[in-house]
Amino acid sequence: MRRRAIGIHVWVKARGRAAEAPDGRSAIAAEEGTPAEPPEALRVVGRRLPKLDAPQKVAGKTVYAEDLRMSGMLVAAILRSPHAHARIVSIDVSAAQQLPGVHAAIHAGNVEQRPFGYNSDNIPLKPDRVRFIGDEVAAVAAIDEETARRAIELIRVEYEVLPAGYDPFEALNGTSTPIHDELPDISGNVAMRWDFDDGDVDSAAAQAAVIVEGHYSSPQAAPAPIETHVVVASFDPDGHLTVWSPVHMVFMYRKELADCLGLDWQRITVIQPPVGGSFGGKIDIDPHDFITVMLARQARRPVRLVMSREEEFIGTRTRQPIHFRMRTGADAEGNLLFREAEVVSDNGAYNGWGSHAMLVAMNTVSSMYRVPNSRVRCAVVYTNKNYGGSVRGFGNPQATFAVEQQMEELADALGIDPMDLRLRNANQSGDVTPQGMEITSCGLSECLEIVREQSGWDERRGRMRERHRGLGAAAFIHVGGGARIYGSDGCGAMVKVDDSGQVTLITGASELGQGSETVLAMIVAEEIGVPLAALHVVNSDTDVKPWDVGVHASRTTFVAGNAARMAAAKVRDELLETASEVLGAPIDQLSIRDGTVEVAGEPERRMDYARLVRRRLLRQKGSVVMATAFYDPPTQMQENHRGNISAAYGFGAHVAEVEVDPGTGMVRLLNLWTAHDVGRAINPMSCEGQIEGGAAMGIGLALSEELVIFDGKIAAPNLHDYGLPTAMDVPRIVVNLVETIDPRGPFGAKGVGEAGIIPPAAAIANAIADATGIRPRAYPMRPWKVKEWIDTNERSIVSRNAGSGGA
Amino acid sequence: MPDLFVPESLDDAIGFLAEHAGSATPIAGGTDVMIDTRLGRVSPEWLVDLSRLGSLLDRQIDGEVLRLGALTTIRSIELDPQLARRAAALVEAARVLGSVQIRTMATIGGNLCHATPSAEMPPALLVHDAVAQTAGPGGERSMPLGELFAGPGRTTLEPGELLTAVSLRVPASAAGSCYLRQTVRWSMDLAGVGVAAAVEVAGTTVTRARIALGAVAPVPLLVGEAAEAVVGTALSAEDADRAGACAAAACSPISDARGTAEYRRQVVAVLVPRALRVSWLRATGSWPTGMPAPINGVLSSDAP
Repeated sequence: MRRRAIGIHVWVKARGRAAEAPDGRSAIAAEEGTPAEPPEALRVVGRRLPKLDAPQKVAGKTVYAEDLRMSGMLVAAILRSPHAHARIVSIDVSAAQQLPGVHAAIHAGNVEQRPFGYNSDNIPLKPDRVRFIGDEVAAVAAIDEETARRAIELIRVEYEVLPAGYDPFEALNGTSTPIHDELPDISGNVAMRWDFDDGDVDSAAAQAAVIVEGHYSSPQAAPAPIETHVVVASFDPDGHLTVWSPVHMVFMYRKELADCLGLDWQRITVIQPPVGGSFGGKIDIDPHDFITVMLARQARRPVRLVMSREEEFIGTRTRQPIHFRMRTGADAEGNLLFREAEVVSDNGAYNGWGSHAMLVAMNTVSSMYRVPNSRVRCAVVYTNKNYGGSVRGFGNPQATFAVEQQMEELADALGIDPMDLRLRNANQSGDVTPQGMEITSCGLSECLEIVREQSGWDERRGRMRERHRGLGAAAFIHVGGGARIYGSDGCGAMVKVDDSGQVTLITGASELGQGSETVLAMIVAEEIGVPLAALHVVNSDTDVKPWDVGVHASRTTFVAGNAARMAAAKVRDELLETASEVLGAPIDQLSIRDGTVEVAGEPERRMDYARLVRRRLLRQKGSVVMATAFYDPPTQMQENHRGNISAAYGFGAHVAEVEVDPGTGMVRLLNLWTAHDVGRAINPMSCEGQIEGGAAMGIGLALSEELVIFDGKIAAPNLHDYGLPTAMDVPRIVVNLVETIDPRGPFGAKGVGEAGIIPPAAAIANAIADATGIRPRAYPMRPWKVKEWIDTNERSIVSRNAGSGGA
Repeated sequence: MPDLFVPESLDDAIGFLAEHAGSATPIAGGTDVMIDTRLGRVSPEWLVDLSRLGSLLDRQIDGEVLRLGALTTIRSIELDPQLARRAAALVEAARVLGSVQIRTMATIGGNLCHATPSAEMPPALLVHDAVAQTAGPGGERSMPLGELFAGPGRTTLEPGELLTAVSLRVPASAAGSCYLRQTVRWSMDLAGVGVAAAVEVAGTTVTRARIALGAVAPVPLLVGEAAEAVVGTALSAEDADRAGACAAAACSPISDARGTAEYRRQVVAVLVPRALRVSWLRATGSWPTGMPAPINGVLSSDAP
């Protein structure tokens, strides 16, 4: 039975049972015409399968970048600034150069390099000024780590310390010392301002029955992958450069390497070895990438840089603190009337892509729920601290922390159940949000209803305070069909079938441990009609794979999946064409199922697909079975913050249950119920893993993770003090996959990579509020902060408008 | 990296350490020494491996006095059913120290001699009247455990002197103890505040009490005045709170990445009464035998 996605079919798979809940709402027409197969028609997609690389990883056989060894390879070490802000008076590397075993000692004075990064505000080795503790000043390559370390100690740098600014509001107000006065377009320490206006907020505020307001903030947090940053660089004798690095965006990485170092980018190969975790920390190219290449160039030997754990905290990009001063207003019935926010992103010493996290935050402020009037004032500021990067969720956990707390504050002020308030204002299929985001499939209401029921919300919220227990909810919207931030948001794919029947997918996508290899293989196997065991995925080498933007914005399943599916469809058609000749049956009577070509209604006329490949190949004027495709989603670059940035949007809702110890402020998370609209779960086990892993990270953000910074210095750059959650901090996470079968997604799938991390901090804050009556406005909600809020009786700030006839 | 010396006898160890005073560091489980060495906090030329010194492994009970050799692992304390009955605070402190892997390597002697102000074992041992036994170039000596600590990371051991054992008082009945702590995470964390209590009860009256604190002073603290506040009482809520307030006044915490001084004092005032309460319940047989107290002393009812 095949069904077309005319309306949107919601397959609700809750607690392991599959049930169809027809959805009566209108949907955006499915311009790609993707058929929405019911689960029973699919042979591979929808199965719970372990990741293809799991056996290798479990056996400890995976070769990571850190494991690479080459003849003559040197190890690199970097000298970093001990000052948050200083002028470099002089650098002397002569003693380091003379140390036996040292093959290169570089600094800005003896290398060729150009500025890089957004605004070109960064440069690998700092020529005249350092802007945070950890800024790169000099580097060495030596025969072993001990020699490299000793060489670093021999480098003499004279600094003239400058006043440093750590406070984002001083940066905003212009009262801190300018950090980038060398940039002509920057005034003070405001790197960027972005404003968005829709409707008339002031009139809406005058009509609102209730307005809640508050200042919500988040700390500097780290992606903290198990594998630290690693780079291996090697020049061939003919000058061709090969770089091995666990990065997300190999093609952009190559271009930036070439641009900054004056290399010919046709003569650079970037190879992405298996990645030992990134969570966005390895998206941007960093100074140490360039430095490793410069060392290899100067030493004329392969060079390997492996960051220590301390360096990983000090010298790589973080999740930027974002501060929201926000107001939300509604009428007495609970219809949202407006939302406005002044947002300050404390992005640290340099911009990078991290500055753009603000745009995702803006999307959530304007477009989470139906908000008829919105006003957003954003500023990205420079401070003398570690700078922000593109960590999983990219601004959205921070924004959702503010937006979703205000939803519950508003509901309580109106005397409406927060779930009812959410459902009343929930985004729906067919909506176009104020920023022009076109919502295709949308399971937000279903997600809210599922977690409401499973958590016992209606019976238990607000009724457990004497036991210091509470329930809190949070929902989210996030891009789920790519995010156009570049000329193309596309991905290429090649599929070939060889004479053995092995099917190779060569994809532009990058496997980071998120399981994209497996999901893409499943899509190809499904589309052609072959068993998954026939699939082989190649995805790591710029010499081989077709172009792709890279891994970010939860885009791989959607964008690379569509590309892979398109190429696979062409391959299937080639096979059917040959089958038609060989079997003498019209193509429309043929299908491939589990690797066998069948003629409709004639089960005895069948043939193995691999034989067809050989029949096509091993003859005069034969041909290989191979096809390519490129998929670029039908989206728009936003202009003035308007435009459909993504081809689909993901939604979901979480409910957290906590118990608060009012004596110590310790919070125990007892339960987390989650429901996610994933479009279609290509591999439900993989989806659940992404959501559970994301939620665990969100729990860490909520309760424990923080880079505590005193005077610009990370107080304790180690895994112990940073506070990643342990198994004891993460409760049972209930995952419900809501399948809305997106009209544009491959088999209806939408992105899910970042989703899980977005709601937990907001849901946990709301649960703490329910348990105690206090209103948390900053995370992590470490015990002493919770205790302080309890002692100071931190409450919601509510204003009521008598003139509106409101509550 | 330092070289390794592996003595076959206690005398060899003491002799070597005395000879290389300042450049040799004893190593048992290595869970602190190796981290300190890698991070460059210490850079000894020699590590003196104590693992072959069988005499540091003994465990014997003589009436109310239990002797634990310095090489006793934290994990073996955690899993000892007799200790669970007679020195519950010690078992509770052991079970929250690091991870299973760390506890399997880490020793009680190492935990004491590293002299971390937030260490788990010292408060639990202090409320059991622990006595430190040492051997050095000048012979053997004993001292109340509190006298071992000189400051953060510093002990009063002489050059070449080794901690060989701790002896503690573990009454068989009418006594109970408890160790609680405040942390950011629910495992794998250092105490922001650690509190141990022990009481002995006759009828409905506390006859003897001890309260000790970790992480709220340069050294682990036995707060005698706070303990005296509950002796002779029936440990009403007011009595316990009074001891908590007294303990909070007696400590001298600092503000750092794990909390402010003010907060730590508040937590002392909260955890001391809870630890006293659990100790009382144990002493009076009202607490299930062998059941550990929740980390912060709050009993969670089961989640639905």
